[in-house]
Amino acid sequence: MKDEEVSQPVIDAVKNAKVVPPDPNKKTAWFKKSSGDTKGDPHAAFGAPGTVISEGVYGVPVITHCCLESHGTVTEWPAKDECNVFISTQNVSGIAEQMAQPLNTPAANIHVHMDYIGGGFGSKFGPDRWGIVCAELSRKAGAPVKMMLDRRAELEVAGARPSAYARVKVAATTDGKLTAWDSSAWGTSGPSTSNTPPIPYVWEIPNKRTQYVSVRNNIGPGRAWRAPNHPQAALITMAALDDLAAKLNLDPLEFFLRNIDMTGQRASYYKEELQMAADMIGWKQHWKPRNVNAQSAGTIKRGLGLSLHTWGGRGHESHCDLAINPDGSVQIKMGSQDLGTGTRTSIIMIAADTLGIPMSQVKLLIGDNKYPKSGGSGGSTTIGGVSSSVRRASVDARDILFAKVAPAFGTQPENLEAVDGTVRVKGGGKSLPWKQACARMGATAITAQGANPDRAKPPDLSNSGVAGVQMADVSVDTETGIVKVNKMVAVQDCGFVVSLKQAESQVYGALIMGITYALYEEKVMDQQTGRMLNANMEQYRLAGIGDIGELVVHMMQTPEHEKRGVIGLGEPPVVSPGAALSNAVANAIGARVPFLPLTPDRVLAALGNTGERTTRA
Amino acid sequence: MNRIEFASPTRKEDVAHVAGKTWADAEILAGGTDLLSLMKDEIVTPRRVVNIKTLTDRDLHGNQRVPEGIRIGALNRLQDIADNALLMQTFPAFAKAVDDAASPQIRNMATLGGNLCQRPRCWYFRNGYGLLAMQNGKSLVPDGDNRYHAILGNDGPAYFVSPSTIAPVLIAYGATISILGESGTRRVPLEKFYRVPRTEAEREHDLQPGEIVTELFLPNPKGTVKAASYEVRQKAAFDWPLSMATVALTMNGNTVQSARVVLGHVAPVPWVSQEAAQALQGKTISAETAAAAADAAVQGAKPLSQNGYKVQLTRVAVKRAILNAVGMQG
Repeated sequence: MKDEEVSQPVIDAVKNAKVVPPDPNKKTAWFKKSSGDTKGDPHAAFGAPGTVISEGVYGVPVITHCCLESHGTVTEWPAKDECNVFISTQNVSGIAEQMAQPLNTPAANIHVHMDYIGGGFGSKFGPDRWGIVCAELSRKAGAPVKMMLDRRAELEVAGARPSAYARVKVAATTDGKLTAWDSSAWGTSGPSTSNTPPIPYVWEIPNKRTQYVSVRNNIGPGRAWRAPNHPQAALITMAALDDLAAKLNLDPLEFFLRNIDMTGQRASYYKEELQMAADMIGWKQHWKPRNVNAQSAGTIKRGLGLSLHTWGGRGHESHCDLAINPDGSVQIKMGSQDLGTGTRTSIIMIAADTLGIPMSQVKLLIGDNKYPKSGGSGGSTTIGGVSSSVRRASVDARDILFAKVAPAFGTQPENLEAVDGTVRVKGGGKSLPWKQACARMGATAITAQGANPDRAKPPDLSNSGVAGVQMADVSVDTETGIVKVNKMVAVQDCGFVVSLKQAESQVYGALIMGITYALYEEKVMDQQTGRMLNANMEQYRLAGIGDIGELVVHMMQTPEHEKRGVIGLGEPPVVSPGAALSNAVANAIGARVPFLPLTPDRVLAALGNTGERTTRA
Repeated sequence: MNRIEFASPTRKEDVAHVAGKTWADAEILAGGTDLLSLMKDEIVTPRRVVNIKTLTDRDLHGNQRVPEGIRIGALNRLQDIADNALLMQTFPAFAKAVDDAASPQIRNMATLGGNLCQRPRCWYFRNGYGLLAMQNGKSLVPDGDNRYHAILGNDGPAYFVSPSTIAPVLIAYGATISILGESGTRRVPLEKFYRVPRTEAEREHDLQPGEIVTELFLPNPKGTVKAASYEVRQKAAFDWPLSMATVALTMNGNTVQSARVVLGHVAPVPWVSQEAAQALQGKTISAETAAAAADAAVQGAKPLSQNGYKVQLTRVAVKRAILNAVGMQG
């Protein structure tokens, strides 16, 4: 960009920007110890006769969100005190309120719009300081201003997943019944305090002591990253259990099954999923103990690993307006957003299905805060929220239509149904094409509002809590330490599946993202300069098509799963890949690579095969 | 980004004139796959960019047999080389290394000359600390994160690794290049083109401001030459190797008459290992002789605080390149 392309008011605005110096009187504590948690009598359990104990250190580094489309906005002020914001966000309905105070402009005058987004993963819920600066510059310049972070800034400051490390001691009886857990964990979320990861993860071990220390530093602010804290907790927990199984000379699948009751209320789901995943990956045929794999012929060793995970995923608050027009067209307005997961498709599918019309007849308007408020897309809350509100609006609008046209059918409204593009009397009888039926409603469109939650309109259409199992098959080159993924299988429940293709696609994406953080991702900070060294997309590696192996996904869709309602799927499948791959590598080479990513230097170090003096932590 | 002037000469004789006398005057633009990111990151801040893609001189384009071997214009795009039947047949390890470089998108933009002249990927350099990563008169590398840095030729002050994955193959095949400057054209063996800078004012190659690489010559193989490259890469594609090796074996029946072993991504220059070459001379290739040559190649390695693993990777790269050259599995 040439200097003269930047207008003088913008340059002046930047020069006159207020800089707030740090308060010298404010003391900063660089770590914060959590209160910890003790259950049962871990001391006695570890000391009980006939107890097998496994100890290890496990961890996951800070990684970034690395959104392909960086954070940023285009802002314009069409009138004084009237602001249009085009922003890359997961939170269309929640942006204006966050900008109102810093801009000293009523939230009602801030118009937020977004049609498409190139990735957020939990890092795009606010306008961010650059969004505010962009708006200020635009106001002062009297012209639209576009400000997108460049790649370096995107990786440095626009999102980091907190790290988590732990020293773990875990015990079982000689016949493989889990008895005790002890962990001292630490991690960092940059300058803010990080949340305690849920360790031990999923497993409710009867005797446990846990402690967590949050470390503060200046490496860049942490943000929610797809399933906050779960991938870290899964790696630490499942790796420790896998090492204990190895010490017990037990197949980890068998070990998990023996203790499956400790997974709580969804134990039966996990059990079924473990068995299905095992069939899909050929666990019985291919799994061998660590020492057998490690001593197999050749330099390439093959191994299998597994992990399981959970997530909430209850639908968020969502509102929508639905109109059925006299010409039969249907319009839905909702202040939600489609992150690329197919939220648009799902909303239209539910309305079309409820009204018995083709999807092409439903016009959906989302991505703007002038529409009824709907929650931010985070925490796997979108599908449950938007599908519930649109279902309620569709049912209500349909029932109003039935009430209006029932006389034309010579029947009561409750005897009507809308299917296959018609409105007809149930069980055979008079039938009218949808369009002709709508023509009889009169000149005014039918409108209905849908909401989630809505206690006045039971049942609750969404739910919380899912179970998933993943297994990985890897080959490890023991001379180079290179890990190659042969295959990953994912078995996942998410209640009622709205759209199978989209659900499977969500899981494929999560597996790829998981393989990436398991093998490659790490925010490398230089100890001397405090700079992030790999803030670009050649040294911040992401998996390519040749790195992901064969991916197989199975969605649980039995009536028992479906009756629970719609539950979110964004987070859960990204939780287990790191743990499953780490366990597969341990199974292949007969040694634990304690930390992600599973890079060649670490694999060689675990093998004791560096031949040289140096390795890094 | 700073304001720049953009020049697109059409005659090669004009390049030196418009490119000026210092590196601050101008940078040469060909495919732009490296220069553009260097400029966006303000690692280089030239006053002028001299686009040489518009040069019409024949020597910068095309490729064909010449009496001494094969001539390749520096403006050939990498994909043109990878797809060239003559090169695939005569110098298969070269064609394969080119086909393995970067991604299809980059191979369709990047040029041969640009690949040979690309700047190191050292993350201190790319973060603006200069080619020698100096801060307060001291290199940041020895006490810093040096996991990808040099294990050979790393007595300092340079610790970066030479980035091209094609240069080691070309050096193994004995390639030479033509360099055009104000005072005319000079021919240099590619091996001598790369050098270890002693000061921040020097670059990692023997190119002076205003000079460009115009063409490359690969000499006719003398006798039976078996060559192969092996890159230890984390990712299947579009990734820099952690270490690589190329070998070119001139065979006398089953015996190695002479060998060239060139390592990449281990030293500030493509590293010609005389030790490994000597270890192979007069030998028949077996797992044992390959392993002995691999050990010889890293004999002088001096790993830094975090890159000891690269010694092992280099050993494996050399061993596998040797075995692959004679059609054995590494």
